[in-house]
Amino acid sequence: MPFQNLLTVRGLTKSFTLHAVDGRVVRGLCGVDLDIVEGEHVALAGRSGAGKSSLLKCVHRTYVADDGVVVYRRANGDAVDLLSMSDSDVADLRSQEIGYVSQFLRAEPRRGVLDVVAGAARRMGVDEGEARDRAADVLRRVNIDESLWSTYPTLLSGGEKQRVNLAAGIVEAPRLLLLDEPVSALDPANRVAVLDILSDLTSRGATVLSVFHDIDAMRVLADRVVVMEDGVVVDHGEANQVLDRNLERELV
Amino acid sequence: MLRVEGLGKIYGPGGPADVEGTGPEFGRSVSPSTGAVVGCWDVGFEVAAGEALGVIGESGSGKSTVMRCIAGDQTATTGSAHIRTVDGGEADVMGFDPSRRRSLRVDELAVVYQDPSEGLDLHVSAGGNVADRLTAAGWRNFGDIRRRAAELLARTEVPLDRMDDPVSTFSGGMRQRVQLAKALANQPSVLLLDEPTTGLDASVAAGVLDLIRDLLQETGVAAVVVSHDFAVIEMLTRRSLVMHHSRVVEAGLTDQLLEDPQHPYSQRLVGAARG
Amino acid sequence: MTLADVLATTGPAPASEVAVELTPILDESAKREIRRAVLTAIAVPGYQVPFGSREMPVARGWGSGGLQISLAVVGDDDVVKVYDQGEDGGVNAANLRRLIRRSEGVKTTTDAREASVIQTRHRVPEDELIADQILVLQVPVPEPLRGIERDMNELRRMHAEADYARMWVSLYEDIVRNGVITRTTGYPCLVDGRYVIATTPIPRWDVPPLHQAKFLSLFGAGREKRIYAIPPYTDVEPLTFDDVPFEVEEVSEPCRCGLICPGDEQGAYLVELPAQDGTSQWVCSDTDWCTRHRVANGVLGSEALDDADELW
Repeated sequence: MPFQNLLTVRGLTKSFTLHAVDGRVVRGLCGVDLDIVEGEHVALAGRSGAGKSSLLKCVHRTYVADDGVVVYRRANGDAVDLLSMSDSDVADLRSQEIGYVSQFLRAEPRRGVLDVVAGAARRMGVDEGEARDRAADVLRRVNIDESLWSTYPTLLSGGEKQRVNLAAGIVEAPRLLLLDEPVSALDPANRVAVLDILSDLTSRGATVLSVFHDIDAMRVLADRVVVMEDGVVVDHGEANQVLDRNLERELV
Repeated sequence: MLRVEGLGKIYGPGGPADVEGTGPEFGRSVSPSTGAVVGCWDVGFEVAAGEALGVIGESGSGKSTVMRCIAGDQTATTGSAHIRTVDGGEADVMGFDPSRRRSLRVDELAVVYQDPSEGLDLHVSAGGNVADRLTAAGWRNFGDIRRRAAELLARTEVPLDRMDDPVSTFSGGMRQRVQLAKALANQPSVLLLDEPTTGLDASVAAGVLDLIRDLLQETGVAAVVVSHDFAVIEMLTRRSLVMHHSRVVEAGLTDQLLEDPQHPYSQRLVGAARG
Repeated sequence: MTLADVLATTGPAPASEVAVELTPILDESAKREIRRAVLTAIAVPGYQVPFGSREMPVARGWGSGGLQISLAVVGDDDVVKVYDQGEDGGVNAANLRRLIRRSEGVKTTTDAREASVIQTRHRVPEDELIADQILVLQVPVPEPLRGIERDMNELRRMHAEADYARMWVSLYEDIVRNGVITRTTGYPCLVDGRYVIATTPIPRWDVPPLHQAKFLSLFGAGREKRIYAIPPYTDVEPLTFDDVPFEVEEVSEPCRCGLICPGDEQGAYLVELPAQDGTSQWVCSDTDWCTRHRVANGVLGSEALDDADELW
């Protein structure tokens, strides 16, 4: 059955050894199981420190997991274990199929906003002219004023930076998108636009695994919610039901 | 495109015996028994076309030695290197005689040095420095050489009205741009960059870095970027090696090395950089 | 066969046959060493062969390299011409000519057509040389890459690997700075498709006659202790870019001999001869050749040819 899934996580364990602090071991994930079907948006919920980001980063291989498997079904139908893949293969997969968007813009110096977003599309294999058109389109949709398109992102406000970063992450939607609190600083005016564009992603066929601290965003976007606590999954199911029953005890 | 295996360099008349007692676990690169200096040992990696690999570590960690052994500036004590476009990747280029090694530098293997005077003749014009690579590759038409040099210099953002000025009159950032133009003149398969922006003003360095990233993307060259600066490695590379006491202590995806370094030394290095 | 017969055929010539006044400069072993170097140079066209340059009764830099080659290669039947800057009567040329004659007992001449060995500084004779003639050039600086690289090991490596990129760069830089390749004497040439030599110290005008020449050219640098050679029928290509043709010197004035117009088929290499009054005249620098033409032209009487003979 697991290979019906786009992503199948089994027994994922992660700890951090802090060599600078006498080798102290901090536990991150303690055997996480997770199934995600293609086209689904799954949101991770839980308190701060529950392991949500760690899970995303282990899947992305930004973190080195201690144990477990993360089986990903590629566009060509092959099932691969992301954890045991070579670094090169992971790097290739990232540039083709798996995207990761955090709230922090990886600023590229001396490059205007439009170029940053178009460059991201180019790296996914979109040709030059097409990339600029799509970049312009997605920037409009996240409410980045055209007057800012040639400005360097480092000069933008925090909210603008996040939206530019998101735009770059989704301009050419990857098959699997990992969203790690991409829009922590959204004002109400931009909220609708961003949620709108994110909900579009799944309808365009992308599969999303997300972390939001905003419950309403989860209700709008997620098909399912997985609740985590102390590095394990404690509840999961249809988004609204899970959110409702966990609201009083776990979710901030 | 580039595959390096078991690369080792011992300074002086050394052998594998000198390696004992050196390395990160002993905290030194000098053999306790013979006093020989181990420049690098047991270094191996592969770089694909269009990919950039980072080599990070503090000065003296052996990262530049690795680069110089591959470039042929120094002779490795042991190890092999294969380049796919050289004899179909069958030949160990480390085993080539000095003449053949040098000829690789014309069109297969290019190097950009931290110190421009190593990669350029400062008394020669910017165009002449590029012409050096072109004539070495057999270009014999003055007009063609000039056009190609101008094209390369324009691409690396050297103002063309300075093309005929001696490089000694150029600023540091501009010299690096000329080095890049020269390095890419004959479309090499492999490009080695040794601290390409170290010593430049921050804003100048950012510009050069930006250019390098674009060039790597455009040319599809297999690149090795040696730097002590995480910002450089982060911006240019997908995968990296961390070197310490002449050994590779950790290899991984660049973002993983930065966010979840495994080896104690990597943790220290990242901790210091992120301070 | 008597002992005397054996000695006569295998050993040195009997003392009675040796002209009494000869004062040999080189001993036989020195000559043999130089001939070996010459043979190596001929075998590897354009390669600079080191040799044990001897002290000569002329200062180094005044033709000592050419003199050693001439002394080593001449035999009893040879006729030697020595000229300097195209001038047979120059002090240095006359001096060298006398030294060779007194050392080896050979005949000397000013007529290039009669000479079997021609030692020269700065010129190749205007007369077309034929097979069996040997041209010996006095070379001040044998290294074509001098000025480009100082390190001797690096120079050796560049020649060994035929790595002449930096020579090309210097030509490129010359054109960029000056619009043309300005190098006049010692123009770099690729010999037999392999080694670059300095055709020093002859002008560009004399470079084309070296290509596929019927004669043998030997270059001797006494101070630098190098000998190199262009064997007969060898390619000598001046280094230049495909789209920048190699050009020889051009002068628009005629020579005083009147017959020679630069650029026509009878063209000759002219040098400027300044006069006291500030004016100047263009003259052929091969004086013997010029004199012959002037006599043929009736500008000079035939006694001028006898004058030339008196030079020696």
